[in-house]
Amino acid sequence: MKTDDVIIECEGLTRRFGKFVAVDQVSFRVRRASVFGLLGPNGSGKSTIIRMLCGVLRPSAGTARIAGYDVARDAEHIQSLIGYMSQQFSLYDELTVHENLTFFGRLHGLGRARVKERREELIQQLELEPYCHVLAKRLSGGWRQRLAMACALLHEPQVLFLDEPTAGIDPVARRKLWDILFELASHGMTLFVTTHYMDEAERCSQVGYIYHSKLIAIGEPDYLKSLPGVTPSGTHRLDVTCDHVTLGLRVVRTLAGVVNATIFGQSMHLLVCDDFDEALLRRELAQVGIANVDIRPISPSLEDVFVELTRARMHELEKVQLCG
Amino acid sequence: MRLIHTFVAVVYKEFITVLRDRTTLFFMFFPPLIQIIAFGFALDNDVKHMRTIILDEDRSSDSRAFVDALVSTNTFRVVGEATSVSGLASAMRAGDALVGIQIPPDFSRRLRAGGNAQLQVLIDGSNSTPALQAMNTAMGLAFRQSLGILLRQTGRDAIPLEVRPQVLYNPSLKSPNFFVPGVIGMALQIATVFSTALALVRERERGTLEQLLTCPISRWGLMLGKIVPYLLIALLMATSLYVIMVGVFGIPIAGSMSGLAVATFVYVFALLSLGLLVSTMAENHMQAFQMTMVLMLPSIFFSGFIFPRDTMPAIFYAISTILPATYFIELVRAIILRGAHFSEYSHHLIILSGLGMLLFTACSARFRRTLG
Repeated sequence: MKTDDVIIECEGLTRRFGKFVAVDQVSFRVRRASVFGLLGPNGSGKSTIIRMLCGVLRPSAGTARIAGYDVARDAEHIQSLIGYMSQQFSLYDELTVHENLTFFGRLHGLGRARVKERREELIQQLELEPYCHVLAKRLSGGWRQRLAMACALLHEPQVLFLDEPTAGIDPVARRKLWDILFELASHGMTLFVTTHYMDEAERCSQVGYIYHSKLIAIGEPDYLKSLPGVTPSGTHRLDVTCDHVTLGLRVVRTLAGVVNATIFGQSMHLLVCDDFDEALLRRELAQVGIANVDIRPISPSLEDVFVELTRARMHELEKVQLCG
Repeated sequence: MRLIHTFVAVVYKEFITVLRDRTTLFFMFFPPLIQIIAFGFALDNDVKHMRTIILDEDRSSDSRAFVDALVSTNTFRVVGEATSVSGLASAMRAGDALVGIQIPPDFSRRLRAGGNAQLQVLIDGSNSTPALQAMNTAMGLAFRQSLGILLRQTGRDAIPLEVRPQVLYNPSLKSPNFFVPGVIGMALQIATVFSTALALVRERERGTLEQLLTCPISRWGLMLGKIVPYLLIALLMATSLYVIMVGVFGIPIAGSMSGLAVATFVYVFALLSLGLLVSTMAENHMQAFQMTMVLMLPSIFFSGFIFPRDTMPAIFYAISTILPATYFIELVRAIILRGAHFSEYSHHLIILSGLGMLLFTACSARFRRTLG
């Protein structure tokens, strides 16, 4: 990555709350105009990282820079470079859509004419016209998110931070929100998104996986899928589509050479040894009356990646505890 | 520039929020109105028409004349007659009467014989203020009548020594004149401190503070922006309280209106800053409420609102010197009742302004740009 391409840069970023370490020695770089997805289970430290990057929380150790400015020291510079959409709706309930936008526009020091211009642009871009004079508290989840996004975009930030922007909104609104995000990225904005939806992670140009306050893996989704820890050497993955998958799963798990098997919609995903006998699988399934068996090799999904990485990490943690 | 941008934005938002939130507005305005009406009428220390029972064992025209004279002072009101000493005592124990007057059988005979006629006045001392006044009134009446008799006997037409008291500023010694300006101080205090005490706490609880912290805000601008809308509302409220004071309680403003306006402005600013200071310290609504209550209690007792500061123990007097209400009450009594000139009350105004600046600086300094 060329240095001038880097817009966000963390080095050993750490945050402690008393004895609890919420973020532990996290280092990563984010390219300009990319969509960076930070994934991890609830409580793994995603929001804390975002809050430190936005200057709302001070890092306990380590540094973070946005466009070369240190988040702890140059907070004033950073505030005009970033937009932030927090996890819970955090706009003014008593104000209308229009008034919320005016407020944040003025707060960012945009002149009267500029506030009006940007407000109209965003209302159009995010299709907020019908709700212009509706109080924020009367909006439904998806529209609240759009309003929050509009407020975060008023001052045309270079980086937009979104903390679980799609939590609790319906699939149509979710799709629409991502369309907007990609459009913003195509205009050169950097997006930093936390989520725990795998399909959203697949859309990111770069993904970081955080577990137990530590960043475990980072890279493009395809790179992560090719990690040796995800598909150990001597194994490969199969997708088995058949009738009665739940019954099938029970049969499959008894077979030699099957490392791991899970149901995935109408099919099963298996991690098997390279010498696994597919004919044996067909015979065993036929024996319990399962027909229409279709077997094909697949590459791991991001979900597979994180399940494997988490499992490996948990295993490590257990060993550490045994040592201690 | 930041200061102005933040200030303009926050004033804009706070005004809309306050005006749209009718319940808050109602609870800002309603209690002070109730307070001034209730306190003005009920906090009347003037003792009048105390329930009195008579045990007249003399039943002469002299005894009746003396009772009539007592009643005509307006301090006593005869509610019944007792037939025995024990009946009188029991009526007083039951609280049926606050005063019992016992006139012995030989009252008229001794009076006419030029001897020493005695009568007994029993006073319920459980409430000291009316008891004291009943005692003074009864003794004063007896002295005046005795003096009249003596003057007639000696042939002199003037008493040898006389005090001519002249009560300034409140000639009829009405207690509302003393209380109402203080009540205005208290009422303003409750409405203003609560309104800003909740200002930042609400933002913290709703998560909007986090959003603000990612914006380029100036803390001075934020604080000023939070204060100004409430300052205007509080001044409006103060004006209506003064109108009630003059119109309903008939207490004229003897001094200058502009002096009163400045004093009120400075006082309200100090209180709103105090509220904001609470808001920077409290984690949630509950804490803000409790802190505000704890801060306001001392000013009810130590500000000179009810009890005179001069007679306070040193520690309470010391507390009173840091309360904004103390200086405001001094100021309104000086301006409204005594019609004092600027130079005569300016020292109070300077101290109150200093307190306001100090509180405002403290709340701006305490406000942190980060959550933790």
